[in-house]
Amino acid sequence: MPREIITLQVGQCGNQIGMEFWKQLCLEHGISKDGILEDFATQGGDRKDVFFYQADDQHYIPRALLIDLEPRVINGIQNSEYRNLYNHENIFVSDHGGGAGNNWASGYHQGKGVEEDIMDMIDREADGSDSLEGFVLCHSIAGGTGSGMGSYLLETLNDRYSKKLVQTYSVFPNQMETSDVVVQPYNSLLTLKRLTLNADCVVVLDNTALNRIAVERLHLSNPTFAQTNSLVSTVMSASTTTLRYPGYMNNDLVGLLASLIPTPRCHFLMTGYTPLTVERQANVIRKTTVLDVMRRLLQTKNIMVSSYARTKEASQAKYISILNIIQGEVDPTQVHESLQRIRERKLVNFIEWGPASIQVALSRKSPYVQTAHRVSGLMLASHTSIRHLFSKCLSQYEKLRKKQAFLDNYRKFPMFADNDLSEFDESRDIIESLVDEYKACESPDYIKWGMEDPDHVLTGEGNASGTVDPNLAV
Amino acid sequence: MEEEDQHKVADLVKELVLRLLSQNPTADSHRPKPDSPAFQNSLRYAFRILSSRLTPSIAPDSAAIAESIKRRLATQGKSSQALTFADLYTKFDSKTGPGSVNNKWAVLYLLNILSEDRKSSKSQLDSPLLLLPNLALNGSELGNVSRVLRGRGRQEKGWNNGVLLVSKDPENIRDIAFREFANLIKEENAVSEEVLVRDVLYACQGIDGNYVKFDAKSDGYVLLDSIKVPRATRIMVCKLCELGWLFRKVKGYISESMARFPAEDVGTVGQAFCAALQDELSEYYKLLAVLEAQSMNPIPLVSDSVNSSNYLSLRRLSVWFAEPMLKMRLMAVLVEKCGVLKGGAMAGAIHLHAQHGDPLVHEFMRRLLRRVCSPLFEMVRSWVLEGELEDIFAEFFVLGQPVKAESLWREGYMLHAGMLPSFISQSLAQRILRTGKSINFLRVCCEDRGWAEAATESAAAAGTSTRRGGLGYGETDALESLVDEAAKRIDKHLLDVIYNRYKFKEHCLAIKRYLLLGQGDFVQYLMDIVGPELSEPANTISSFQLAGSLETAIRSSNAQYDDPDILDRLRVKMMPHGTGDKGWDVFSLEYDARVPLDTVFTESVMAKYLRIFNFLWKLRRVEHALIGAWKTMKPNCITSHSFTKLQNAVKLQLLSTLRRCQVLWDEMNHFVTNFQYYIMFEVLEVSWSTLSNEMEVAKDLDDLLAAHEKYLHSIVEKSLLGERSQSLYKSLFALFDLILRFRSRADLLYEGIHDLQTRTESSVPSRRKQLNDRSSEPGSWISDGRKALTQRANDFIRNMGQDLDAIAKEYSSLLENFISQLPVQQHVDLKFLLFRLDFTEFYSRGHPST
Repeated sequence: MPREIITLQVGQCGNQIGMEFWKQLCLEHGISKDGILEDFATQGGDRKDVFFYQADDQHYIPRALLIDLEPRVINGIQNSEYRNLYNHENIFVSDHGGGAGNNWASGYHQGKGVEEDIMDMIDREADGSDSLEGFVLCHSIAGGTGSGMGSYLLETLNDRYSKKLVQTYSVFPNQMETSDVVVQPYNSLLTLKRLTLNADCVVVLDNTALNRIAVERLHLSNPTFAQTNSLVSTVMSASTTTLRYPGYMNNDLVGLLASLIPTPRCHFLMTGYTPLTVERQANVIRKTTVLDVMRRLLQTKNIMVSSYARTKEASQAKYISILNIIQGEVDPTQVHESLQRIRERKLVNFIEWGPASIQVALSRKSPYVQTAHRVSGLMLASHTSIRHLFSKCLSQYEKLRKKQAFLDNYRKFPMFADNDLSEFDESRDIIESLVDEYKACESPDYIKWGMEDPDHVLTGEGNASGTVDPNLAV
Repeated sequence: MEEEDQHKVADLVKELVLRLLSQNPTADSHRPKPDSPAFQNSLRYAFRILSSRLTPSIAPDSAAIAESIKRRLATQGKSSQALTFADLYTKFDSKTGPGSVNNKWAVLYLLNILSEDRKSSKSQLDSPLLLLPNLALNGSELGNVSRVLRGRGRQEKGWNNGVLLVSKDPENIRDIAFREFANLIKEENAVSEEVLVRDVLYACQGIDGNYVKFDAKSDGYVLLDSIKVPRATRIMVCKLCELGWLFRKVKGYISESMARFPAEDVGTVGQAFCAALQDELSEYYKLLAVLEAQSMNPIPLVSDSVNSSNYLSLRRLSVWFAEPMLKMRLMAVLVEKCGVLKGGAMAGAIHLHAQHGDPLVHEFMRRLLRRVCSPLFEMVRSWVLEGELEDIFAEFFVLGQPVKAESLWREGYMLHAGMLPSFISQSLAQRILRTGKSINFLRVCCEDRGWAEAATESAAAAGTSTRRGGLGYGETDALESLVDEAAKRIDKHLLDVIYNRYKFKEHCLAIKRYLLLGQGDFVQYLMDIVGPELSEPANTISSFQLAGSLETAIRSSNAQYDDPDILDRLRVKMMPHGTGDKGWDVFSLEYDARVPLDTVFTESVMAKYLRIFNFLWKLRRVEHALIGAWKTMKPNCITSHSFTKLQNAVKLQLLSTLRRCQVLWDEMNHFVTNFQYYIMFEVLEVSWSTLSNEMEVAKDLDDLLAAHEKYLHSIVEKSLLGERSQSLYKSLFALFDLILRFRSRADLLYEGIHDLQTRTESSVPSRRKQLNDRSSEPGSWISDGRKALTQRANDFIRNMGQDLDAIAKEYSSLLENFISQLPVQQHVDLKFLLFRLDFTEFYSRGHPST
């Protein structure tokens, strides 16, 4: 009865980071590129069956679905040295192979078209699990396939497997520079709605911040996708260590997420990781104690989400929850001391409407992966400043929408047929209310928020386009 | 040549004696025959005098003597003679070479003495010739006491014999007085001293004499009252007879003990003691035999003084007896003090008397103790090196008792304080006890043979042979080093066996992982599988089925990779249950430690583990329940559905209720999660790392037991299971129960909401359709069904809201109570708990009323 997790990697970006993730897992569990357990991998203690299952020939096979509407990335995987790792029945490439053209609507629509095929695969995987814990979706929210088809999958999963968890690793586009995808704000907004409504937990991987970290922290002048993707895979694998190396606590995804997400809507998590290294980079040896790691994790420069907040608002920003996963040889007594120091120095600002604390999970480190540092740490945190990311999305959307630009591409698809753009409006409202809720979390009166103002509710009801009243959806 | 000289000298002496005797006036009538006894006696006496080393107290200076003679002659007015003497002396002195006199000074001295002597006897007694002591006189006098007693006769004889007294003047007034006194004494005595001496000697052998007899009334040997003796003599006899009394006592003890030998209560130490006493007594017998022989002999004296007629007098006896008396007294004291004791106690008691400044006593006691302790030391040796308790008489300070294997270490052997001799310190005794115990433990519980090697090694290292009798009293250092070496090696061997063969650490870890729920995935599956079943009443649950569930949980978790031997020991245990108990109340896991580890994991230890398990299990169950609640209210469950068809007021209420539920959940989850973190970091892991460290440095099984005991104790204390935190524990359980109640309320709430959803949705088949239709036909909402639905929803939500309010209120008061108790707890670690719970100072700030 391992709490199995099925990974869905959708679209170009999703498959790329997914592939990195599996590479990393294989390394950590001592599984060869062909899925065979390496001879040296005899030290037990790790749990492989959460993410892998064993075929009849003892091969470890990832519980993963590789889905894309264009064959390029998946072909790349199938031609790589990891081609024998995956179950080929779990690879779905659209027949026509034309992709979604960076159009959310296209991806969503195509997703609907192939729903049956994909759901068959998912059902098969789910049936192969003893006690399925949930799904992990890797995608980007900017393009067409990952965002559109990913959105459709989220909705479907929510319907079909309403009792299961749905976690996503969502790559947010680089908002600092002009994107090659001009409709990225539309795509992001529409996807964000699904992430808000149909996912249980969204780990936000902000390309802007990833690039910044690659440049500033890793001193790469021009970080490649592969390099930023390796950061992502590090985060993904680290965030699953407690599931893969069982200990006293945090042994399943629900337990991990429940404490992180006390208010259902605020389920967008930021991540931070230290010490960061990239392959082939000369390791900088530094002191890694629990306190160092925990302190560094709280520094914004290590956090993989851009903070656009102005200073004034930044002081208002609060942590709703923090979970630090510390890997490596750690003396448990140090944890307490570190927490004390952090509290003394007031390094963290927590919400005031409820009790909160820094949770620390100690986890083993894979014995098969050599690292220069003794201790490494991952922070998963729910922080109200993430609303600025959404605000940015909203404002970019507003700009585009005002110009009525590029909407024709969307009108081609049934959802937006007959110039019905209510989906856009609805999404906008939902994101707006999400931003509002995050903002409300910064105040001590969050508990009463949304209730003292009946007019607001009335206007909400009057909103013709809203299936879901933002305030009711809490 | 020398021999010839000797003969010559002897012949000369013989000749001289013959001549002297023949000149004796009393023997005038006959010329003494050379072979008569009297002559022989005299000859012997003469030899004795000659061979004696009597020297005059004058420096051997011939010139000085010549000078003094010359001066005396001059002062006496014989100046012509003086001149002649000077002339002669010069000639005499100048004669050197062969044939001349060697010892000129001696010749001069002799001549001087002779002349002076002759002068003095001439002046007083007119006695002409006798220059030398009358040798014959002594012989005749010794046989004739009555004559000696007559003072007058003695006076006459004085000058008759013409004794030459070199150092003693027979006419000294004091001497005369003394002799008279002695005679007086002799006259007062009804019995002679010799007889008394003999009687005393008898008495000292424990035999009644003619006059000195044992008197039971006064408990001692006394001179019979009827005998008339001076008081001083009586007292003297009495004093001397003390020895007899002591002897009687010692002897009595020995024979009594000897008689009891076959019976058990004497013991080997007692036997050794008797034997040692016996040896001492035989020394004593020897002395007595000698004395007895001596008492028959007269004392050959220079003078004919009467009171030294016998070699042994009472006074002499008292001198002779001084040392035996001391020893005998010691022995008697020992017999008195130690007679009733046995074994180590006896040795200890004897040892107490050995602390004596007198080297004689010290030496004596040492000798005795060496003998006495040898069986004891033999026991120590065989115990320490072989683990054998050769102690049929229960004399050893280690007591063994038959026990079950699991309690062999704790109860099988113990120190018997009464039998611990004081020369073995408590700590040494402890080490001795432990070493032997270790061997026995290895032998009985671990079925190990390797200790023998360790024992041999240690004996070699200590430099003691493993043979019997290698050790003795006074070699405490050797004993200590033997014990140390043996203890070191055997303890190490024992720990090796415990660690390596019986995998102590692994079992500790297994207990931590299974009983203390350290193996999270296993616990989770177990909770998942047995959870539904445990909600049933306890009496309907089959433990067989639970065992199956346990098996499943093991197989599906990482526990499956554990050592099968460890997994095999893990069992389901159903505690005794009363009516109304749920399965939750009685379910627990147990771990079968088995021999020899059950020495560490005794029943009481396992009972503690059981308590901890129950506590942690409950905590885990509460956590599980809360996470279950989260799953029903998880983000994508509620938010994706619409309640738009409900009235505003109802919606508001719903919103408020849901928010309340979430916030309350958050608070509870915070509490439980942080409690779990506290348990993990501050309690389990910290205690475990302490235990691991102490396991590393543990030198013997006792250390190990203590370390484990400490580990367990610290867990019990810190997880509020201790005595002092009972009230805290109670409030904690009240909180837990409330949280479980909250869970069922929340479930109900969400069930109701889902119900509501399906009802509202049933009126409009699909959400998407509704989305499209809504704007076109808003009037369709208003219907009878909806009104009723709204009414019901309203009621339901209000009820639930009230329930939640009540729970929230109770929760906050309980929590406040709990938190307020934390700082006053004595256990410092509970501060950590408070620190965690109130990390953001949410509680200490006084949070807004909920």
